[in-house]
Amino acid sequence: MGLIREPKNIDLSTKSEEWTEKELLDFRKLMKEIKAKNAKRKSRSVKPQRKKVSA
Amino acid sequence: MARSKGLDFQIDKLTNSIENTTTGEVFDTEIVRLSAANKSQIRKSDWQFNWHLELGDSSKEVFKLTTQNNPTIIQGLMSIEDKDDHIFMHLIESSKFNKGRDKVYFGVPGNLVAFACKISMERGYEGFLAFDAKTVLIKHYHATHFRGKRMFIETTAANRLISSYFKP
Repeated sequence: MGLIREPKNIDLSTKSEEWTEKELLDFRKLMKEIKAKNAKRKSRSVKPQRKKVSA
Repeated sequence: MARSKGLDFQIDKLTNSIENTTTGEVFDTEIVRLSAANKSQIRKSDWQFNWHLELGDSSKEVFKLTTQNNPTIIQGLMSIEDKDDHIFMHLIESSKFNKGRDKVYFGVPGNLVAFACKISMERGYEGFLAFDAKTVLIKHYHATHFRGKRMFIETTAANRLISSYFKP
């Protein structure tokens, strides 16, 4: 198990503003593309390898 | 955990760790969900953001990070919202003794961000976590810049964070 040691002088304290409808729409579009790409990659990596059968 | 929302929410505690910046000692931690009934655990003057407001908002889920040995001392807080296809992080804050050059522990925000990604995975959102951030720390979490202050963490980065912080 690792641990991310953030620099001592930098802190992550964040207050997010609500994203606009347009931003959410664009983000969802991008997210869909990434998810589709990941699914494609995943299905490619689990393809069973065919064994050569000699006649 | 199966995808769940609202009252059937199952995550109560998960174990991971933070590291003392001086001694290097590592402490196991817990992340526990807080409700409006737990307001007394958060003294307003100790925090930059208004966490009582978050606890009173039913659309948000507030979590505290503590060490296992000392569950009454809050190391950090996070407020998230389930957006049905991703998790949105409204607020994240380390306690005042975990900020700046004299911070006591490393890993407080990382723990909480990894936990949010874990929730996103468990709810079927493939780890997607969206939020605003302005600090350079964001590169530590492998976040992707979207536009302006808008950032997100996608599946590969989420998996990396989860495996960094959570014991198998």
